[in-house]
This record gives sequence, structure tokens and C-alpha cells, in this order.
Amino acid sequence: MVEEKFEEDKVSEKEFEPVIIAYCCNWCSYAGADLAGTSRFEYPTNLRIIRVMCTGRMDSTLVLEALRMGADGVLIAGCHPGDCHYQKGNFMMEKRFDYLKKAVKNIGIEPERVRLEWVSASEGGKWAALAREMTEDIKRLGPSPFRLMRDTKKTDAAIDAFKSQRLRWVVGRSQIKVEIEEDKYRQTVDAIMQVEIERHMITGALKNKGPLTAEELAKLTGLQPNKIVQHLIALRKDGAISEAGEKNDQYLYRLA
Amino acid sequence: MEQEPRVGVFICSCGTNIGGVVNVPDVTEYAKTIPHVVYAEHNLYTCSEAGLTAIKDSVKKHNLNRVVVASCTPRTHEPLFRAACRETGLNPYLFEMANIREHDSWVHPHEQHKATEKAKDIVRMAVAKATLLEPQTEPEVEVKGASLVIGAGVAGMTAALSMASQGFKVHLIEKEKEPGGMTQRLYKLYPTLADASEVINPLVDAIKTNKNIELLTSTTLKDVTGYIGNFNAIATTPDGNREMNVGTIIVAPGSSNYTPPKGLYEYGVHDHVITQRELDEKLRQGEIGEPERIVMIQCVGARKGEIRPSELEAFPKSDTAELLRRILKARKEEGWPYCSRICCMNAIKNAILVKEKSPATDVVVLFGDLRVYKEYEDFYRKARDLEVRFIRHIEEVPPEVAQMPDGKLQVTAYDALSGMEVKFPAEWVVLSTPLIPSKDEIMLARMLKIPIATDGFMMEAHLKLRPVDTNVDGVFIAGTVSGPKDVSESIISGEAAAARASILMGNKKVTTDAITAIVNEDLYIGCGLCEEICPYGAPKVEEGKSKIREILCRGCGSCAAECPKQAITMRHYRDDQILSQVKALLTPEIREEA
Repeated sequence: MVEEKFEEDKVSEKEFEPVIIAYCCNWCSYAGADLAGTSRFEYPTNLRIIRVMCTGRMDSTLVLEALRMGADGVLIAGCHPGDCHYQKGNFMMEKRFDYLKKAVKNIGIEPERVRLEWVSASEGGKWAALAREMTEDIKRLGPSPFRLMRDTKKTDAAIDAFKSQRLRWVVGRSQIKVEIEEDKYRQTVDAIMQVEIERHMITGALKNKGPLTAEELAKLTGLQPNKIVQHLIALRKDGAISEAGEKNDQYLYRLA
Repeated sequence: MEQEPRVGVFICSCGTNIGGVVNVPDVTEYAKTIPHVVYAEHNLYTCSEAGLTAIKDSVKKHNLNRVVVASCTPRTHEPLFRAACRETGLNPYLFEMANIREHDSWVHPHEQHKATEKAKDIVRMAVAKATLLEPQTEPEVEVKGASLVIGAGVAGMTAALSMASQGFKVHLIEKEKEPGGMTQRLYKLYPTLADASEVINPLVDAIKTNKNIELLTSTTLKDVTGYIGNFNAIATTPDGNREMNVGTIIVAPGSSNYTPPKGLYEYGVHDHVITQRELDEKLRQGEIGEPERIVMIQCVGARKGEIRPSELEAFPKSDTAELLRRILKARKEEGWPYCSRICCMNAIKNAILVKEKSPATDVVVLFGDLRVYKEYEDFYRKARDLEVRFIRHIEEVPPEVAQMPDGKLQVTAYDALSGMEVKFPAEWVVLSTPLIPSKDEIMLARMLKIPIATDGFMMEAHLKLRPVDTNVDGVFIAGTVSGPKDVSESIISGEAAAARASILMGNKKVTTDAITAIVNEDLYIGCGLCEEICPYGAPKVEEGKSKIREILCRGCGSCAAECPKQAITMRHYRDDQILSQVKALLTPEIREEA
């Protein structure tokens, strides 16, 4: 009996090997990972490196998409502040990361699964240590919720939100000098992000399930009915949705 | 591409480097099962003549239109394999590399099974990206046969002369009234003890008389626009603005000497506490005389602490030149973290000069570490023979300098060898201070968009392999702007930068990287955000149309990541190309297929 249980434990332990996507910038972190190899620093086999020219290239959707596809963790690694091959790509990523992390939390994923780190071309040791640490952390967290439960409604909405012109514009503007206080601006972007995710949950539901009433939308999205009504008014004004008859004395809506 | 992808995969054993850990035949068999792979083989060394021939033959034999090599890092070997593709008529951008050595076999030597599975993943990801690759054309531009050299110090003058002697027109600008730079202000040079003027005067004469060199003194750079092969520089001269159209630029503004803060070792308080540079001048003027004792202290303001993350966090996040300004300010009190390389030799040289003039003077050099190399070891021995005393103090207890009641100086140090405190009354205390980034560098870095490293010096394109190139094509660095150098090293870097620039100007044409941004005009709305974000001024909104001037684009992709309409894509790094790798790794359908 005891032996059997032990075997079982061993199996379940064996089962979870996290899959971690590591987006590395070509100039620093990819080279840092190369140096870890040249120096023969050992680390767990869980990372899969994807090379990009600069972390400045990292559209938030590239991270969200990886999570939606079931990555247990996503690491973005770039040059140290001041060392960017393109002067400021890493800073742009850093700014974007604030919002990205909030979005990750919003869609129900532990924010610790997503990390932004600076690893230079000379920091092979740091790369190996980071790989070890991140693998351990994610093992502790367990498999990504998207591996088990395939309901990605909210993530779909978040990805759509990060593809939407409105959210991209305000995040993009934060990269250049804005005339209002940084904290205030950040709060505004956070609010817009929240609204955009919710609206894309609504449009997502309308897209997948056809014409729906406000009540049905509330049920499907988990949002408060008054919130739904607010969003419906705004979406209708934008011309994103239109009425499609009535059901149980309520308007039905569909995508315009 | 309309053609169905036909991918060939070549898996390298790299002797036993990969093959000793990863089961290469197994990965090869697996590769054959990946969608779109029509051919796979493994080689002992894919980068060998035999390996490259195998690629070329297979492209023809199997009509391959994509090639994937699973071997080492693309950072070293991609150009080689791309060249092999080009030879067969395949566009080099239809090549993709899977790094199964640095990122796999070398870091997982004790997990052979897992490393093999990881290699399969990496190959599958590379194939997925390869199938989506598109051929790219590297833009070709003409290179003007003229160069701008900024700074007429020893490095700048050497570079100017070298290019001028090859027939290129050189504009040499110098902010001071006379050329010569820091070297001209020096007295004697180590290890020959030759007058600095012996080095600098012939150079100055040569640049002044060379017909291909236009020397502009009391001149500073005002603005630079353009790109490799065709830069437009505007300089401020005493006679007004001067425009110059050049193909290459060599940046050689030099560095500064660290000035200790007032009160450090009584510097600025007692007028017999001076720096090595000041001693140099006093030796030239014969102002030192025959004192009883001179004490030199090494590493003053050098090798102290490190640049703290908090220093880096504090500066505005868009401007590396601003970073340097702040670092310069912060390091004024605390000193710089690096070894300045020249100070030990410089101290030994001045100690010898003092001893030769006045053998009775007791010269004491207090050091934590003394670094001499190559034939300079003989120079150090010469100083020892002249009875210069080298005393190591332990680094945790730096020497102290105090003014005695009689007005004389006294240096107290903790002798590491005897473990005893020693006191030296001294007429002069000389501080060896490092070369540090100059303020001119800030302006130039900003204007030319050259990144600055955390030590404050301009960053080379590659520390080891491309030491005089910068990340800006057509712009090279020479002399101490990239770190402390002595005169001969400055000459070497000046010659090197000139050689690099001359290759471009001699070829008259250059192709630049094809990895640039491109605007989808159907999506474009003219918001102009890309224009404001780009550090290189590549996007331009004109007549309601946004255009990326690909010759200015460095390919970082920041504009693509921020474009509100997602109207900008990066060649060779499109969203779908990046995500295809994630998808190949994670999507169960593909996994099951495998």
C-alpha cells in the first residue's frame, strides 16, 4: 500500500514540468544565456528561449497569447537600464510591463508567472540562477490555470483590449512625455484597461453566442448588470453593436 | 510566399558538444515528422566544409525553400549558414537557427533525456518560424568618400591621417583652439620617457599640411542627421555654422581626468596635495625641486564601490545621455568603480622622473593593487632599482592625509605586509586619479544616438569582436571615449577606426540589415506616435502617409509594439512569426501530431 502511494506521488511529481517561454533580447539576455552555456552553468530544462531584437519589441499581446496557449510562465529578459542596444527599448518594455502585469492579474493568473528581468551579455551566472529560480517558483504555483480549464474568455478579452486602438494609444502615449502627473495618468490607463477588457468580454460573447440580452450577457461575463448596460450604451454609440430585436421584453444585441 | 514551405533540417552533433548529451539521431528522426519538413539529416559539424556542402546539395536535391540548422548560437554562426543559403540562390532570410548547444546540451549535461526532448521542442519551434519566413532584401546605399572626425587628440588625428592618406576627404573638428588633445598637455610618456611633444608635434604638423584634411578648431558639433554613407553634420565654427556631408563619422572626443572632491586627502585644502596630472605639469616647469619625500596614493576615485541600481533608477527613462549626466554628478564624490588602467604606469613614470632629478628624494607609492603588464614590468623594476618604495596598504583601510602643526603633510597608512601602521611626513602628496567620461560625450551620445554603458563610457557594438564599431552604422569610436587608454592604445584605436571607416568608403556601397519596420497603409491613421517613440527618427508622417525610412531604422521594434492600430510590422520578427514558435511549443494538436 505504502509503496503504491509512493509510486503515485512520484508520478504526480513527475507530471508537472512547467513550460516557460523566455523572450530574450538579441543583444544582452540571449547572449547572457549563450554565456551560461559557454560557462557550463547548469539549470533546469524548462525554459524555451525565443529571440527578439529588443524587449522594446515585446507587444503585451505576445505575452498574453503565450499565457492563453498554456505557458506556465513567461519571462521577458533584456539589457540593464542604460545598456539598451537601441537606447531605450528596455525602458519602454518596463513601462508597458506595469500595465501588462495588472492585466495578467485581471484575467486570473498569478502575476508571478510573468517576469521582466535584466540580464547582460556578461551575466551567464545570473541567467542560470534566474532560470533556476523561476522554474522553482512556477513549480510551486503549479500548472497554469489555462492548462486545466480551457475557458479563456477573459484572456481573449484582454488580448483584444491590448489590440484595441484606445488602450494602445494611452499606453503608447505613456512612453513619451505626458503633460499630467505620472500617477494620475497611470490611474487613467488602468481604468481604460479595465473598461476595454469588460467591453471586449461583451463583444466576445456576442461574437460567439449570437444576439444576447443584457441579462444573458451579465450571466455569461460575470459582470454586474448595471455595468453591462453602461458598456452596451457606449458600444452602441461607437457603432460596435446594434439592436437585434427583443427577447423577454429586453433588447437583444448583436455585433454591428 | 505562395510556394508551399519545404523545410530542410540539419542537426549538428558539434563533435560531442551536442551529440554527447542530446540524442542527435533521435532528434533527426523526430524532425522528419514535423509538418513541412521534407528532409532532415545530422552532421558531425554542420559548420564544416562537409556540413555546408551537405546543406547546399540538399537545397538543390530536395528543392528546399527553407533551411533550419540546429546547432549553436545564431549570434556567431548565423552569417555563415546564411551565406551558404545565399550561394544556392536561397534568400538568406529563409534560414532559421535552433540553438541546441548553448541553450541545451551545454547547460543540461546530466539530463540527457530531457535535453533531447528540449532539442526536439527547439527544432519544432524553429521549423514553425521558418515556414512563415519571407525573403528580404538588404537595402543598399552609397557611401560618400568623406569622413568627419570629432576631436583632434592623438586618436582623432591618427584616424584622420590614415583616411586622408588613402585619398578620402576628412573634416577634423576640435573644440579647443589648437589640436593635440590631452596628450599635448602631458609632459613625458611611459615607458620611453620621451617628451609627449615628440609624439604629438609631428602629428599636428602632418594634419595641418595634409591637403585632404580640413582642420576646424574652436569648433563644436551642433547637429547630425542622415545615415550610414550619407550623414549631414552641422558644426559651429568661429565663423558661423558649417555644413558637412560625409559617409562615415569617427568619434574621438577623449575623456576627462577625475578631480577629487575638496577635502579628500586634503586635496584643494593644502596646495601640496596634487593629482598626477598636476605633478606632470610641475615636473615640466621644474617646480618640484628636491623635496625629502613625495607620497603617491593610487586608485583615488577609482575602483570604488559600484554604480548602484538606485542611481540607475533615478534618471528619466528615455534618455541614456541624461543617465551619464547623473552618473557624472553622483560619482563626483564617490569615485568610479572601474580600474583606469593607465594610473599605475603613470605613477611609476612620475616616480622615476622625480628620482632621476633628485635621487635623495624618498618616493613612496601607496597602493591597494599595482597593475603592470608586458614590458611595463621592466619599467616597474627600473623604479624599484631607483629605490622607489612601493607599499601595499590593505584596501579596507585607506591611507589618511593630515596637515601637521608645522604646515607639513603626514600620510598614515596600514602596511599590509608588516601589519603595522606607518607614518610618512611628506612635502608632496600626489593622487593618482582615473580617466572618466567627459561632458562632451553626453552631447555627442545624444546627437549620434550611441548607447552609453553603465560605466559611463560609450558602448562598443561588441566588447570583444567589434571594439571600434558602435551600434550606429557608419559611426566609429576611437581613443578614450570608450574607456581609459594610453597613447599607444589610442593610436591603435584611431588606426582601427580609420580602417573600419575606410572599408565602407572604399567599397562606395554598403548593404544594411533588412530587419526593419514597415507600415501597413490600410491600417495607418496618421497619429504620429511612432515618430515620437523612435530613437532614430526613422518614421516620418508626410502628406497623411507614414513612412519608415528603412536606412534609419535599426529594427528594435518599439514602434510596432506601441502602434495604436498595429499598423507597423517588423520584417523577420512579425507577431505571427514570434507566436508561431509559442504555438509550436504549446498547442496540443501540434504536440500530438509530433
